[in-house]
Amino acid sequence: MTPRSSVSAVSVIAALLLVASIPKPARAFGDAGAFDPRVLLTGDETGAAHPSAPASWSSELESRTSAPARHRPLHVRADEGALTDEPFVYWSGTSATPPLTAGEISGLRRFLSLGGVMFVDDAAPHDDGTPGSFGLSARSEIARVVPDTTPISIGTDHVIFRTFYLLRRAEGRVLGPRTLDAVVRGGKALVVFSEHDVGGALARGTGGVWELSVTPGGYEQREQAIRLAVNVAMYVLCSNYKDDQVHAPYLMRRRALVPGSGTVP
Amino acid sequence: MTSSRLASSADLPPWAIAAALALAALSFILLAFEMRRRERGGGVILVSGVLAVVALLVAVLRPVRIAARESTVGARVLLLADASRSMALPQPGGGTRADARDRAIRTLFAHANGARFLVQGFGEGAGAPLDIGSPVATASLARRSDLAAALRAIEASPEERPRALVVISDGRLDDPPEGASREALRTLAGTLGVPIHTVATTRDAPKDASLRRVGTAGAAVAHVPFPLRVEVGCAGGLVCEDIPVTAREVREDGPPALLASGVVHVKDGKGAADLTVTLERAGTRILEVRIDAPAGDTIPENDRRLITVDVSRERVRVLHIAGRPTNDVRALRDWLKSDASVDVVAFFILRTKSHDPLADPNDLALIPFPVDELFTEYLPSFDAIVLQDFDAQPYGLEKHLPALARYVRAGGGLIMVGGPNSFVGGGYANSPLGDARGVLPVELDGSSHATASDPVAFDPAWTEQGRVAPLLAPLRTVVGDELPQMPGGNVLGDARPGTVVLWSHPTRKSPSGSPMPVLAVGEQGDGRTIALGVDGGWRLEFSALGARTAGRGYGALWDGLLGWLMRDPRFEPAQLEVLGGCTAGLAGTLRAHLLPETSDAAKQPLTLDIVRVDRDPAGTKTLPVHREVPRDPSGATDIALPPLPAGAYVSRLRVGASGSTRHDFACEAGGDEWADSRPDGQRLEAIADASGGRFVWADEELSQIPMPSPTTVSAERHVSPIAPPWVWTVLASALLGAHWIARRRGGLA
Repeated sequence: MTPRSSVSAVSVIAALLLVASIPKPARAFGDAGAFDPRVLLTGDETGAAHPSAPASWSSELESRTSAPARHRPLHVRADEGALTDEPFVYWSGTSATPPLTAGEISGLRRFLSLGGVMFVDDAAPHDDGTPGSFGLSARSEIARVVPDTTPISIGTDHVIFRTFYLLRRAEGRVLGPRTLDAVVRGGKALVVFSEHDVGGALARGTGGVWELSVTPGGYEQREQAIRLAVNVAMYVLCSNYKDDQVHAPYLMRRRALVPGSGTVP
Repeated sequence: MTSSRLASSADLPPWAIAAALALAALSFILLAFEMRRRERGGGVILVSGVLAVVALLVAVLRPVRIAARESTVGARVLLLADASRSMALPQPGGGTRADARDRAIRTLFAHANGARFLVQGFGEGAGAPLDIGSPVATASLARRSDLAAALRAIEASPEERPRALVVISDGRLDDPPEGASREALRTLAGTLGVPIHTVATTRDAPKDASLRRVGTAGAAVAHVPFPLRVEVGCAGGLVCEDIPVTAREVREDGPPALLASGVVHVKDGKGAADLTVTLERAGTRILEVRIDAPAGDTIPENDRRLITVDVSRERVRVLHIAGRPTNDVRALRDWLKSDASVDVVAFFILRTKSHDPLADPNDLALIPFPVDELFTEYLPSFDAIVLQDFDAQPYGLEKHLPALARYVRAGGGLIMVGGPNSFVGGGYANSPLGDARGVLPVELDGSSHATASDPVAFDPAWTEQGRVAPLLAPLRTVVGDELPQMPGGNVLGDARPGTVVLWSHPTRKSPSGSPMPVLAVGEQGDGRTIALGVDGGWRLEFSALGARTAGRGYGALWDGLLGWLMRDPRFEPAQLEVLGGCTAGLAGTLRAHLLPETSDAAKQPLTLDIVRVDRDPAGTKTLPVHREVPRDPSGATDIALPPLPAGAYVSRLRVGASGSTRHDFACEAGGDEWADSRPDGQRLEAIADASGGRFVWADEELSQIPMPSPTTVSAERHVSPIAPPWVWTVLASALLGAHWIARRRGGLA
């Protein structure tokens, strides 16, 4: 072995030792604080409308942002005590949901009173963007949970549209309306309604292939749907962070650069 | 002494005596008038008439002889001697003004004219007996010279009123103030109704340049510039023109920080400058204001003032930095934003270089993390920094950690909240935050084989200190002994000396073998730090416990943590005060008002440590003070302080297991009393003039002061009638009859 190669070998070994000695951080101490798109189950539901969507949501979030996410999202029933174990639930469906039981209503009220956030995704909206049977029934059931508040339309002026990406409109598997609806209390969106089947745009089959095509179609629409999902997750984890004054000049400048952006029609 | 005299009968009221005398006088006039109408025998009529009227008068008055044993009592004269600190100033020709005052008092004693002198020293409030010549009196203790308060106290006293008042002072009084009107001076003695004589001890001002007044307009608010008006005076013929002035903040860790400087233009012996200073930290702050006096200044002590400023806070400014968004970050942000008294500036790392957002930068709502700007230009403007799960290395914070440590020692607050990238995992172990002299309250393992975190879930355990600490009292009110399970935690080392560990790990041990700290609080220099080695605090909101308590535990925890960091009195184990202020060179008392303790904690002694934090101009080292005293069950414990040199001090009281609290105070040699060293004989003259008294210089003839006459007091008294009343009556009747006969013979009716 030449002196030069000896030096190289020692250097490599030293580098390996150095790398080995770096403290290895745990991942969020067991994922407990990570974003978890928990699937909310009511009635006799057994899973999300698109079962692969929650994990895909976590995967997209982790690959695009610094936010940790649970790779195997949990399922939780609305009348379970565990509903209040985390601050987010994802409720989706393709058909009309049966009326919530008293226990489910009570559980959801407790969850929302703690500041929990709920994303209600209509997995079968009409192509013209009007709510499907799940969307309509979910709205009426949520109205029973929070009878004192009616959903309002939220557009690009709401922080959800800029928590990570600057979004021009809401999009999902279905193009749907430009806005989302939300039950807002104390300035915070507690329940966000989507008529876009965001989960459908996220769902992936075996090998990572998209399960469903988007309507009317195109790579850009799916990308926008993923971005909306990322933004919702970031809203859950950062709350209204992007409403802080320190961000305002940057975001206003960038909004000005985005064609077609502006107020919600 | 025995005396004897005549008097009328004691049963006659004064008006009856007057009426009898008046009638007798009228009788004499009538007699003279009638004499012109007599025909003969004028002499007999006149003599008999006079005798008859006199006999009648005597019969009415019934004279008695009074024999009495009497004594003379001197008039009560109150000497009000100035006992303020200004009397300790040097007197031209040697000695002090107090010496001149005492000489004057002795001279007045010599010219007593039998007067009974009572000597009282006046300063703050009511006067107190003054033992002239004693070391205590010579020291002149009082920090004020309030003559008006002393006179009011005499007026209100039930004791014998003085018949004369003599004030002996240098005239530099707080009340009545300079320029008081004649009317105000006339009312000074109130209803005492006696003249106030005044004796001025000092004629000439010493050669002195001084800080006569340092004043602030309104309250001092942290981070908000406020004006500091500095008034400078020159007296005694000292030549002053432009005098440099500086204002510094005294800090425990390091030299005083220059806040402002300027130049005072002195004209006609006085001048002023307006400085603008900004104090970044709330609480009690000590400012050192100093002038560079010209050569020839004879009183250097009043060239420097130590001003205690209570800095309030409009809102708590918090810089919240998170390494990545998590449920714990969300919970803290929501709590910070929900508190209207907290002004949050937040920066969360939402993306690192290893993440690909698959978007044009203009489609991202991301802004650069201005680490250099924050930790250089803006760092002092924050009251507290929260580093949550934040890795120092990738974002350029490492190079600012020395500044962050200095910020803490200068009075800032720091909270490190756990997560994989906190403490050891964030590269803080060998930094100024976590090394041997680090500001974090716990030690961190900086070795190459250090374990950064433990992912095994655990239930934090309350320590004994945690159970009684006021800052966790709100949380305990909500959750009691229960805490939510934590999803693992950071591996922390031993608590540093002085640190209070509030939660510990149930199984893990620190290198010393004691339970590993999970939540610990400590003090570093002027600042405070908190280490929270878990990222599961949010479970106080979202968990079975959170659901049962409506999530109130999380707010209660952070209310206490941030409140303690900001020295909110609610979370201090005691409130401290130096009774009557601190005067250099004199013993004092520090009173600790304590929160109620548990029975066990109440048995633990209080430990007081006092260190000097300013630089002694003379270079003398002041030894720290250490006291251990039992806790007074009344709730207020007095701790004796030794005489301290002039300077700024930090006192720390450790209250059993409840942690420690701090109080900053200043000791001055002269304080306000030495700020203006000029005597003010004119004011004393005006006081005497307004009340009808006499003004005299102490070196003049003090016998000019008129002393009231003594009072005679009868000790024993015997009253005996000269004759029985019937004798006077018979005599008067006989003489009246003789007079009637003489009138008839003289031709009168």
